[in-house]
Amino acid sequence: MKKKIYILLLVLTLLVPLGLLTDADAWGEWDVDYFKTHLGFIPQGAVKLQNMLNFKHLLPDYSIPGSNEVIGYYISAIVGIILIGAIYYLIYLFIKRKKV
Amino acid sequence: MHIPDGYLSPETCIATYAVAVPLWFYGFKKLKEKLNEETLPTLAALSALSFIVMMLNIPIPGGTSAHAVGAVAIAILFGPWVGFVSISLVLLIQAVVFGDGGISAWAVNSISMGFIGSFVGYYVFKLLKDKTKFAPFIAGYVGILASATFVGFILGIQPIFWVSNGHPEYFPFGLKVSLPAMIGAHLLVGFAEGILTQIVYKLIGEKTAQRLIA
Repeated sequence: MKKKIYILLLVLTLLVPLGLLTDADAWGEWDVDYFKTHLGFIPQGAVKLQNMLNFKHLLPDYSIPGSNEVIGYYISAIVGIILIGAIYYLIYLFIKRKKV
Repeated sequence: MHIPDGYLSPETCIATYAVAVPLWFYGFKKLKEKLNEETLPTLAALSALSFIVMMLNIPIPGGTSAHAVGAVAIAILFGPWVGFVSISLVLLIQAVVFGDGGISAWAVNSISMGFIGSFVGYYVFKLLKDKTKFAPFIAGYVGILASATFVGFILGIQPIFWVSNGHPEYFPFGLKVSLPAMIGAHLLVGFAEGILTQIVYKLIGEKTAQRLIA
């Protein structure tokens, strides 16, 4: 059963650059500049919170800054899959140790 | 559907964390019960699948985009609590490593995409599974729509409560804008979530699925 799921995962991962075909942000996920253009002001509380919580991301917006968009997207996909696999494995080890 | 930092008032963030933390604890307990040599590879693969489908942005007429989540597929196979916790884990990685969704909004994003999507999808599936073979599709469709509706609601209430000097302090569009926008986009994306749920259910196989559900 899991083999077929792995194949589906592989196929969708190979197709992942299709997600770059649209550069439109999801509704409600814009940068705050969007509000300046569309409303003429930027909500001040939002700016304050964003400055407060601002930190550097390893792969911001699923990209490697300064590198090719598609390559950055592929690498992001692979990093994400590896991290998820690693977390589940750690949880599993943790549970097994407790059960013994 | 990933709400960024700064779009919600600190009060909203704190309230949603207060709701989410006990749910995470209980859900993690449920996850521990379900996780073994057999289920681990499948659950990890389905969570990775969720991560990938969230990268597959689908253009929506009107200049936006949206994506499937993959919560319902996990929920109908492993139960809604496992769906909720798995999606929360994916969302945490997205927030920390990729800056997709805010850290302060991790709780609310986990509640919308994880909790609501999983529970609504799970119960729709349960209700329909003996009535139609398209139960996974319908569960996926309705589940993601419920998630989107909640996001529209939580964004839309921001300008009702948090205004200073006549301007909204956080998310500026009210319910009359946010609800139709979120629901409208996901009336389309619902098909992607529905098809994904149906395919995963089919690939896992009726027999294995029945055993997992029981």
